[in-house]
Amino acid sequence: MIPIPRPSSSDAQRMIKEHKECIDSMKGVAGNSVLKCATPGDTTTVTGGIHEDFQLNRVLLRMRAQPAKGKLVVVCTKVEKEWRIACLSGIRGVPPEFINDKVYDNEQDPQHDIFLMRLEEFAEYDGFPEHFREGWKRRDDMWATT
Amino acid sequence: MSWMTITGYADKFSVHPGDTIKFFVNCDGPADYQAEIVKMIHADTNPRGPGFIEEKIQASCNGTYKGMKQEIYSGSYGFVVDKPQFCLESVTLQCWIWPTAPKTHPKYWKHGAQGLVTKWHDGNGYGLFINEAGCVEFRVNDQVITTGAPLRDHAWHFVAASFDAKTGEAILYHEPQIVYALDPEIPPVTKKLSTKLTYAPGTPTVIAGYCGSFSDAPQGKASVPAGILIKGHYNGKIDSPRICNRALSRLEIETMKLGAQPGLSERRNSGPTGKLSEAIVASWDFSDGINTLVGKDKGPYLFHATIVNCPTRAMTGYNWEGQVFDWKVAPEQYGAIHFHDDDIDDARWSTSFEWNVPKGTGSKFYAAKLTAKDGSEDYIPFWVVPRVGEETAKIAFMVPTISYMAYANEHLANNAGGAELLVYRVPIMQQQNMFLSEHREYGGSIYDTHTDGSGLCLSSRLRPILSIRPKYDHFLAQAPWQYPADLHMIYWLEKKGYEYDVITDEDATYDGLARLENYNVIITGSHPEHNSGPQLDALHNYMQRGGRFMYMGADGWYWVHSYHPAYDGQGRGIVTEMRRCESGIRTWRADPGEYYHQGTGELGGMWRFRGRYLHTVAGTGMSSEGFDISTYYSRTPESNDTRVAWAFEGISYDEKLGNFGLVGGGAAGTELDIVDTMLGSPPHTLVVATSAGRHTEGYLLVMEDYGFNQQGLDGTQHPRVRSDIAYHETPNGGGSFAFSSIAFCGALPWNNGDNNISTLVGNVLNRFMQDGPLPMPDPEAIIHRGRADYDQPMNKARK
Repeated sequence: MIPIPRPSSSDAQRMIKEHKECIDSMKGVAGNSVLKCATPGDTTTVTGGIHEDFQLNRVLLRMRAQPAKGKLVVVCTKVEKEWRIACLSGIRGVPPEFINDKVYDNEQDPQHDIFLMRLEEFAEYDGFPEHFREGWKRRDDMWATT
Repeated sequence: MSWMTITGYADKFSVHPGDTIKFFVNCDGPADYQAEIVKMIHADTNPRGPGFIEEKIQASCNGTYKGMKQEIYSGSYGFVVDKPQFCLESVTLQCWIWPTAPKTHPKYWKHGAQGLVTKWHDGNGYGLFINEAGCVEFRVNDQVITTGAPLRDHAWHFVAASFDAKTGEAILYHEPQIVYALDPEIPPVTKKLSTKLTYAPGTPTVIAGYCGSFSDAPQGKASVPAGILIKGHYNGKIDSPRICNRALSRLEIETMKLGAQPGLSERRNSGPTGKLSEAIVASWDFSDGINTLVGKDKGPYLFHATIVNCPTRAMTGYNWEGQVFDWKVAPEQYGAIHFHDDDIDDARWSTSFEWNVPKGTGSKFYAAKLTAKDGSEDYIPFWVVPRVGEETAKIAFMVPTISYMAYANEHLANNAGGAELLVYRVPIMQQQNMFLSEHREYGGSIYDTHTDGSGLCLSSRLRPILSIRPKYDHFLAQAPWQYPADLHMIYWLEKKGYEYDVITDEDATYDGLARLENYNVIITGSHPEHNSGPQLDALHNYMQRGGRFMYMGADGWYWVHSYHPAYDGQGRGIVTEMRRCESGIRTWRADPGEYYHQGTGELGGMWRFRGRYLHTVAGTGMSSEGFDISTYYSRTPESNDTRVAWAFEGISYDEKLGNFGLVGGGAAGTELDIVDTMLGSPPHTLVVATSAGRHTEGYLLVMEDYGFNQQGLDGTQHPRVRSDIAYHETPNGGGSFAFSSIAFCGALPWNNGDNNISTLVGNVLNRFMQDGPLPMPDPEAIIHRGRADYDQPMNKARK
């Protein structure tokens, strides 16, 4: 398992910078990846990000695999105008709840803020024998089943 | 924050000029709303494109209507109306159950007791239940006995209970069919009750629920039976429920497992014994009539249960042996129905307004636009389709309505943690997703699991389908998907001034070749993934006779679908069924023995594993998918072949094809198809452009293309993670052009339709829409070609 570095570490700082540059470069694209557009908003040539930073790639994979309960998502609150961050309940019929009042004016910035929040939230190590709990027998681990 | 105070649906997807379409509207808040018919042209609000475009249509139904709240009573069950034979003094109930959610979270949307076999309402009557603690419970009026033993989920249990009015003795049995080494014994529970059974008039006998309340409110008419609201919906399978009119001994209960068994007496009266024959009130056998909405009673009274909201049938029973996998061969092993608390086959709302579509109305995309003064709005899409023989254009756009139904009210971003792994970014939910997240009664999609976690394999169009909406970006693409994405193509057709008709999957399914043959060219939607067999037959017959085909997307012709025949009396294509079997991209997987459709009895899963390879339809088939960003195409030398060079007039060889677009920023993206002659692409297919080598790590090869897990399957490494634009001639002057990417149509509106993708599509359409057969290729193109063998010089030498 690849550890998720503490936010203050130099590794995390490097990843944060790379992630931010990628997300900024994706503004305007009807889509998103943690990759850097050579021309902002144009996916003709993309480099860096998950294709070149192995640690960032693996850390993002672990974050993305988190099961639904407590997982952060983006909610579009006004079409093409406003977006907010919410948290999934993991319970059928209980809708996501907004986690704060921050309103974004583009759909890409919340991607980066969620990355920062998860760096704070996620355990550095998970998935080793010392973390065994009964839920592992019932797919209640940190990797969502698809 | 409240989301979507107006929602609605229509009784038809496709309506002929001269016919009437009815609209059903829920207006939960605003006193009134405005309705107007609009022609839909472009549904994508992306500021980089032409923006949202609709045209108001003068229609007799346009006007202001009083708002009325309408409710959906979802959750499946069976019922028999109130009958005196069920109003017993003493009783025995029994059945097998396979509960999937015996214990639910206190905040779960239908937390509470679940009814199994009940004739019970508000402290009157009897019933077998699962209580809030997940234990079997027997109710006799307001008195209760329970085993105190939690039911193991996803396991068979035999449960029974009896009440003897003379002695007051009630007994409850809970006998797990699977007993593990360390399971405690669950002895029968006996209790003396001081009560005599009483009944509330009108209480139906219910299987998988109980009679919750009686309602005179207008909304209550949407329940079945009208005005009786069923509650306590059960999640799980029930097999062989029985009701007898006295307290049976345990031995008699065991014998009663056999059911009515008229064959055990030469007089053919109900059995299984003479004495038990006299005791049977009802003995249901769900293995009879699996493709119907009836639960057959084999007992003397023929109390056939009406099955409501289409639960899943053709499910393995408690006695399934694992030797037979098709319910038609051994129906007696398929006596279980899997009920879900979120099953929905028909919202059954009252009509809000209707429109008699005038003769001469153009065959186009339309919607009933609903708006309220507080800013609420909804759109109810529908399509005006000419009658067969009254076509008005040479071009038909085939709306992939089965695929729309498969994705109807999809919940993945909210429920499936793995959704983010799939899209390689944090999903973005829209107001439609937020509304659905707390309105589970609107039902889910065939991509979802039910609220109990089991796979959802049936989807109805008689409910508001909030994913078939304009201005809706889907989390998969962070852009339009399906309905709004198909309007990218419609915008282009309108912008370029083409005359076209629209037809739907259901039209092709029910009308066959007759629906297609009067058109020179059929254009598909961006994502025609889900198809019926008759529809595929019609397409092949069309192309065999010289028809031309433009496959505008990818991941087409993938899953086996069938319309449930039990709904044919209500209209075309109301409920579609699909089972996710052993391969293919699956958000859930059917259990063993449950691969055959309950409606038609056909084997479900991928068409590929029925021997109908995807690539045989249009020339290309699904290779990979990824949802982060899209890319562009480069031409191949085959694009210069005289057989196809006409398609590239006005496009230079080195141009980047489609390095722009409203889906992922490029024409090649989301889901991708390639040519594979080993999987059905005709050997003479030309690959004219490809996106090879340009996709991200988020793109992965489809799992049906490899046999063991391995590294190197993503877009940065695997050569088959690409999209091929391909062309091949079909017999009698026909042809097929496959554009092979779901994002492809998103490039068409770029720069107001002035771009090289637009030029390519225009060249193809202009040629394909011509009357008469297409010109024959040069004689040297007619050579022997193998499937695996592609040694051109050798083949040419054979000539």
